[in-house]
Amino acid sequence: MTRVDDRDLEVSPALGAMTALIQQQVQPPTAAELNEGLRALFHRIERIEENEGPGHGHGQLDDGRRGGWRWSWRRAVAVACGATVVAAAVAVLVVKTVGTSSLSPRASELAYSVEGGSVVAGGYLRQVGRGGVKLSFNEGSQLALMPGARGRLLSVDKGGARMAVEQGTASFRITPSGHHLWLVDVGPFLVTVKGTVFTVSWDAGSERFELRLRRGRVAVSGPISGGDLELRAGQRVVVNLPRAETLITEDAGEDGATESSTTSDVGPAAAGSAAEAPAAAPLPSGKPRQEKSSALAAASSSPALAAAKARRRGAAAGAGPSAVPSSGRPSAGTTEGSRRWDQAMAGGDWDRILDDVERDGVTSTLAAASDEELLALANAARYRRRMDLAREALVSERRRFPSSRRSLDATYLLGRVEEATMGGRARAVRWYDEYLSRAPAGTYASEALGRKMTLMNELNGASRARPLAEEYLRRFPGGSYAGSAQALMRAP
Amino acid sequence: MPLPRSDIPLTLAVTASYRHVSDADVGRGLIAGQSWAIAETWHRFAPMVLATAERALGSRAEAQDVAQEVFCRLYRKARTLREPESLRSFVFSFAIRVLKSELRSRKTRGWLSFHRPETLVDVGADTLDVEARDLLRRFYARLDRLSAEDRLVFALRHLESMTVEEVGAALELSTSTVKRRLAHATGRISRMLESEVGLAGRLPTRGGGTT
Repeated sequence: MTRVDDRDLEVSPALGAMTALIQQQVQPPTAAELNEGLRALFHRIERIEENEGPGHGHGQLDDGRRGGWRWSWRRAVAVACGATVVAAAVAVLVVKTVGTSSLSPRASELAYSVEGGSVVAGGYLRQVGRGGVKLSFNEGSQLALMPGARGRLLSVDKGGARMAVEQGTASFRITPSGHHLWLVDVGPFLVTVKGTVFTVSWDAGSERFELRLRRGRVAVSGPISGGDLELRAGQRVVVNLPRAETLITEDAGEDGATESSTTSDVGPAAAGSAAEAPAAAPLPSGKPRQEKSSALAAASSSPALAAAKARRRGAAAGAGPSAVPSSGRPSAGTTEGSRRWDQAMAGGDWDRILDDVERDGVTSTLAAASDEELLALANAARYRRRMDLAREALVSERRRFPSSRRSLDATYLLGRVEEATMGGRARAVRWYDEYLSRAPAGTYASEALGRKMTLMNELNGASRARPLAEEYLRRFPGGSYAGSAQALMRAP
Repeated sequence: MPLPRSDIPLTLAVTASYRHVSDADVGRGLIAGQSWAIAETWHRFAPMVLATAERALGSRAEAQDVAQEVFCRLYRKARTLREPESLRSFVFSFAIRVLKSELRSRKTRGWLSFHRPETLVDVGADTLDVEARDLLRRFYARLDRLSAEDRLVFALRHLESMTVEEVGAALELSTSTVKRRLAHATGRISRMLESEVGLAGRLPTRGGGTT
């Protein structure tokens, strides 16, 4: 074997200049080239998996763009001589050499399609035309963004999918499965789905949320101080955030939900609501007739809805419909107060709540109110810019009900209160820190981290906020602060 | 009518923003067959693959074909990724294999068609003058005469500026074999360059002048 001396590896000036020239001339691909290449890649993967079969060759680099074959006299002679053996050898050689670049078969895993648009970076559903966007999944589920609506596909994995409706109306037809969890972020609300057909809409301008459930069951969580809503087929919920008003009405669901079945399902709740909050019950006079009945209407931002829900749960567990909701209702007098606050919350009459507190005394109210009422009081005080009272209500919430979920909500809301207070931004950061440490995956985790990032930027500059932006983008890539976080990442 | 139940696993369909995810996590996503991971892998490593292939083949169009093949294979063979942290090396090894396969296929096609396949050199097509482009075309034509292995050794050493040891690791060759192939390839190409009348004087240098 020839020994190679290192001097043999030395590069001549001409070769050095040639290689330098090549290195200079090869430029990195542009973003457009990369995106085009990625589209081609996905298209190719899908095409291969659709068409592949035993012995089928795939993805050859030799696709005719190389200039092809040229018919030469030598080739003509070769063919004319009928060199069958050579042809056979050629075939073997082709299989062996070209076939090495084939793709081995594997079961298809990419099985979703988009109509009327495309999914672009960040999962954003971009509409092409005016017909809306429709996504179809391999297991039969479908979702459609109505024309003009905006939404994102946040994640899809083997455990389920998560989507965000940022504006407008979207309809869902989810195939029931015990293996998948479907989550839909609708503005500040989270809809948890298990096999259902429903339409949901969100108007960011008026902060109005609506969900019409045609089939199946869903749970809605979000800024509803009455707690999560569990809806059955045929129900429709409308939440008006500025008015802190929640209306639940009954439609004729596809499951055949009738008025009587509705009554059995939610009767106690309706009865309870009607008894406790008569003024909140009637629907607006202009309600369409197909909404059969019963306006269960309740101010879900109020204890009434929670009470109704508690009765539903209590009835299921054998408790009577008169069972009161959660703890903290110490006296009949407080119950009366609750009724008054139901009406006030439903009508956005914050002043009435605050008047009641002034009349009964702040200290006694804070000592006797339920956790729901404390949160309602805090909200009323916030809306009326009574930040001191809001802070006291929230602190009482945390002190008296430290293990409740609303205590966590109060922690986040304390941050919001401090933000609205002169010189309170540093304190707000601490409240957000506490919320994030206690509930890293809580309802307000995205908001708390986003607010903290914003405040850190204001207080300490972009360099201190950038790690938070990075964390935010990693944890909530489709969150409402993602744009701010990306801007921070780009900031000098 | 109730909807039929489904047990088909949902699969990833779209990428969100994964720019801050580590290579290891992208690798794990790739192993799990998640399509965001293949997209992210593409965005991270396609520039490397495209550049390497373009320099080795002399054609951006062919480099794009190679990149497509690399990432198709990567997707299909992702489960063989044992160390997700080494995703970059994993991708590069696929690029080398596809390049080698492509170069061998070229040789085969040249033999089968009884003519040497035309070298489609488009490196510098937009920036170089006709003379320089012609030089490049002849340079790559000479490279076409090398065996696939010799050419890859040459390309990795001289065009990718890899060390002999790195070339050996990438091609799974011993250092001495790499040196031997490199000496052979370099000698042939250098002789070709020297034989070109006035070539050295027409080659631009790094500073923009000529040698």
